[in-house]
Amino acid sequence: MTSANKPVRAARYGMTIDVDRCNGCGACMVACAVENNVPPAHEGATDRKGLTWIRVYKVDNGAEYPDRRTAFVPVMCQHCGNETPCVHVCPQQAVDIDPATGVVGEMPQRCLGCRYCMAACPYHARYFNWWDPAWPAGMEKSLNPGVSSRMRGVVEKCNFCHGRWHAAKEAAAAAGKPATEPVDYTPACVEACPAGAIHFGDLNDPASVVAKEAAETASFRLLEKLNTQPKIYYRSRKDWVRQIAAAPRPGAEKEKYRG
Amino acid sequence: MFAGGSAVGVLFTPAPWRLITDTALWSENWPGIPAPPRGEIRARFTNCSLCTAGCAVRARCVGDQPVELAGVAGHPLSRGVLCPFGIVGHHLPFLPARLQSGPVPQAAAAVADGIAKCGPAEFVATLDLRPGRTASWTYRRAMKAIPNGRYLAPSAYTQAAVDLSKARTVLSFGVPVLDGWGTPGNVIAARAGFRLIQVEAVESRTASMADRWLRVRPGSGDALAQALAGRIPHSAAADATGLTIPEIDALANELEQSGPVLVLGSSQLASTGGTVVARRDTPVPDEWNQSAPVTELASLPDRSIRVLLIDESMPGGYLSWNTIAHKLVADNPVVVTFASSREGYARHANYALPVAVYPEVAADIPTAIDSVAAAFRISAPLVAPPPGTVSPEAFVAAAARLAIGDTLRERADAIHKSARGTLFTPADGKSQAVKNVTADDFWKALNAGGCWIDQPAAKATAARLTFAALAQQPVEEAELPLAIVLARELAPGLPLLSKVYQESNLRLAPGRVALHPACGLEDGSRAVFETLLGKCAAGVTLDPGIPPGIVLVSASPALLDLSGDGARAKVVRA
Amino acid sequence: MKRSIPFLAGLAVALGAGWLAFPRVLYRSSPQPVNFSHKIHADKAGAKCEDCHAFRDDGTFAGLPTLDKCAGCHAAPMGTTAAEKSFIDDFVTPNREPRWASYARQPENVSFSHAAHVKRAKLACAACHGNTGAGNAPRPYQIDRISGYSRDIWKTPGMAHGMKMADCVDCHRRQGLEHSCLDCHK
Repeated sequence: MTSANKPVRAARYGMTIDVDRCNGCGACMVACAVENNVPPAHEGATDRKGLTWIRVYKVDNGAEYPDRRTAFVPVMCQHCGNETPCVHVCPQQAVDIDPATGVVGEMPQRCLGCRYCMAACPYHARYFNWWDPAWPAGMEKSLNPGVSSRMRGVVEKCNFCHGRWHAAKEAAAAAGKPATEPVDYTPACVEACPAGAIHFGDLNDPASVVAKEAAETASFRLLEKLNTQPKIYYRSRKDWVRQIAAAPRPGAEKEKYRG
Repeated sequence: MFAGGSAVGVLFTPAPWRLITDTALWSENWPGIPAPPRGEIRARFTNCSLCTAGCAVRARCVGDQPVELAGVAGHPLSRGVLCPFGIVGHHLPFLPARLQSGPVPQAAAAVADGIAKCGPAEFVATLDLRPGRTASWTYRRAMKAIPNGRYLAPSAYTQAAVDLSKARTVLSFGVPVLDGWGTPGNVIAARAGFRLIQVEAVESRTASMADRWLRVRPGSGDALAQALAGRIPHSAAADATGLTIPEIDALANELEQSGPVLVLGSSQLASTGGTVVARRDTPVPDEWNQSAPVTELASLPDRSIRVLLIDESMPGGYLSWNTIAHKLVADNPVVVTFASSREGYARHANYALPVAVYPEVAADIPTAIDSVAAAFRISAPLVAPPPGTVSPEAFVAAAARLAIGDTLRERADAIHKSARGTLFTPADGKSQAVKNVTADDFWKALNAGGCWIDQPAAKATAARLTFAALAQQPVEEAELPLAIVLARELAPGLPLLSKVYQESNLRLAPGRVALHPACGLEDGSRAVFETLLGKCAAGVTLDPGIPPGIVLVSASPALLDLSGDGARAKVVRA
Repeated sequence: MKRSIPFLAGLAVALGAGWLAFPRVLYRSSPQPVNFSHKIHADKAGAKCEDCHAFRDDGTFAGLPTLDKCAGCHAAPMGTTAAEKSFIDDFVTPNREPRWASYARQPENVSFSHAAHVKRAKLACAACHGNTGAGNAPRPYQIDRISGYSRDIWKTPGMAHGMKMADCVDCHRRQGLEHSCLDCHK
């Protein structure tokens, strides 16, 4: 925010996702909802009006049996690093990029609900609270104290589990570690994936697993031609999956990308 | 002028500025948005009892309330994995359809009455939908204590276990190997070692991740199995399944060349090369061996059960009601069900009694099918159950006038006495031999999420598929144009599963049917699902991946009452 | 001069109402459940802040102590004050948690780490909470009728600064530690 800040060793938190290992179980989706106090669906919610900070899309190569091949692609906020679209358009400055971590942080408390960011996001990774959150009777006891709830009328999205990041920072402070060091923590989706398909870490740290995997030639990002420089790297040995990643949206029917 | 003076004056007091800030702060306190409870964060360990995988769970608790669940890294069986149902298992107490109260004394009286009135050719039966638990032994002892007692359990491969690490090829007839079968962590760990061939009518998640998916007509898996076993010619199987003869020839060849082979069917196993093993049972106290054997429901004569006690307290098991209904006596049978939900047998039973659920109650979890050695683990209670719940084990024992103690403790002591096996403790991630642990420490460790694993003394068995005559396809095809394919989701109703059901189209929610868009219905509409056994309402999802002529039924008890794999149905607008 | 009298009168009335009457109306006094004396505990029991307001092993701050901390010493009366007696009668014996009102209570969306401020920045407790330890009775808790927060979130005499976001941001700006919203919000 201000240029008079003390220098910190800037991290760039990112993920690598092995599409070939994802079996579409949805464990990441429910673990994210548990960690971030995302409420269960309202009666009127559909896949267009739901709150799924991470969403697994089923994609296929368009052929018929027996040549049909299917894959599952988890998509969450890509934490764009270059000219982040949502940060640009927000009239409230309700979303910002943290220079110390690269995380694009959403502030539902500042949001006024214009949904301009939802239109700007090319990955459809932002979700609007069409209704007040409602949990079945008694379930409020099981909410996570590390994350605050949102009311209706605001936009929310993946923040790389900022609740867990706060806890990790606090533990590091209590253990006497210097503030300039980026902390090690695991977001809920990464921890929950039964196949271990998602890895999380500091892309700026050449020794980290994500930095090494992101540098592989088999790694690609979604909609690379938009040059948003997202921090989520996908890996797959299947060419048709890479082609879909260049398409407008995973799961969209038969849209050819021109250019 | 006075007003002007006061207007100017007010600006020099804190009043307007504070009011602005306070109003802003007030607007943030939106009514109805809950604040999460605060308190000390603790880790507590337990085991998940939603299915027989019994995966180890590390629960992050605020005070005593579990807030978030995760697997236990390094666990020898579950390998740190929790499936999507296990991750939200701690919400089971809050199911909207939860049964909260029931007529317990009236049910006890009716059961006592029924037992007294039981005729010579009539039975008192307990139907245990999750056999193999310690409570299952109590039911067997109780049924032995009653003169006409019978212990019923769904048929399953109880003694046999599967050794995935030995298999080079797995041939699965519709079994969801990669989506909730066995112990998910173990399947994932063994996955690279075998080639999976999935034989299924629709492209399930397992079929899409398998090395080879063979699309067959619904209900024709049996024909393929018989052809591979050499009992019918490949051409007959090709006719029934829709595969080509060369495809079947190639498959038979592959099974011969790429052994050891494991064959998985919905109710049977077959193997070569030691992939199916006979597993030693978890020890029980000697006195318990005086107990009723397992009887199959189908073996009882029609109209012979006078009192039926159904334990459906554990998720997953449900037999369609019509397989049960005609076994009950015609005049006033007494049916008591122990259930956590109103949606199962509570719709049919005379008395539906509420039970405690995971994680409110201590219960042991039977060994999973893919564990070569027997395992004993307890799902430890993390929170208190609501008032009014009843223990099915205590109720049935009381009805049989069988005096029981703390059966879990007795079982643990029997295991400890056998001095076999190892104890894994999740808190430190270590395993140690049981004989190095005292009985008290063993019990304490089991109640803190520990896991006992037997020494594998597994002897390979060459299990072979047994075949009944091939089922005839029901005749009225014009009236019931769709073939049913059943999909079972594990624990319906968990609120946050809406993420994968309603708020995305990743999974099909129980109580919904999926059809090809050519069916003419609208996506998301309500429809009437009808079979030879009756009709009920179902929600419709359109999916171009489902071949026309097939309806994929995501099983809820209501739909299971009407359908079975390969049966026929029709779905029309409501 | 005469013409300005109504103006000055209005001015005076507004100033009086705003400075004197307004706080009385806006704030409601809410007494703490126990008339707790920090001074007695510091002097007689030799207690320091961290004896009761401690850090847990995982680095989180325990905040206001729970009943078991107090009951550890006060299972039976240790002195002769009426306050202690009513504490034992009302809370220790029936095992009921006192519902303390927290002067520094922050909105739900704030994530404040005591570890970062006390252990890393080495701030003294009094720097933010004032000289609470010297008090013989709890400060009167005045709850704002509109917002529901304590009057203490505004800087009051004796406090180094208030407890609102602007106060936190001031200090962070001076220290050069202002990176992103999610540093402090959850």
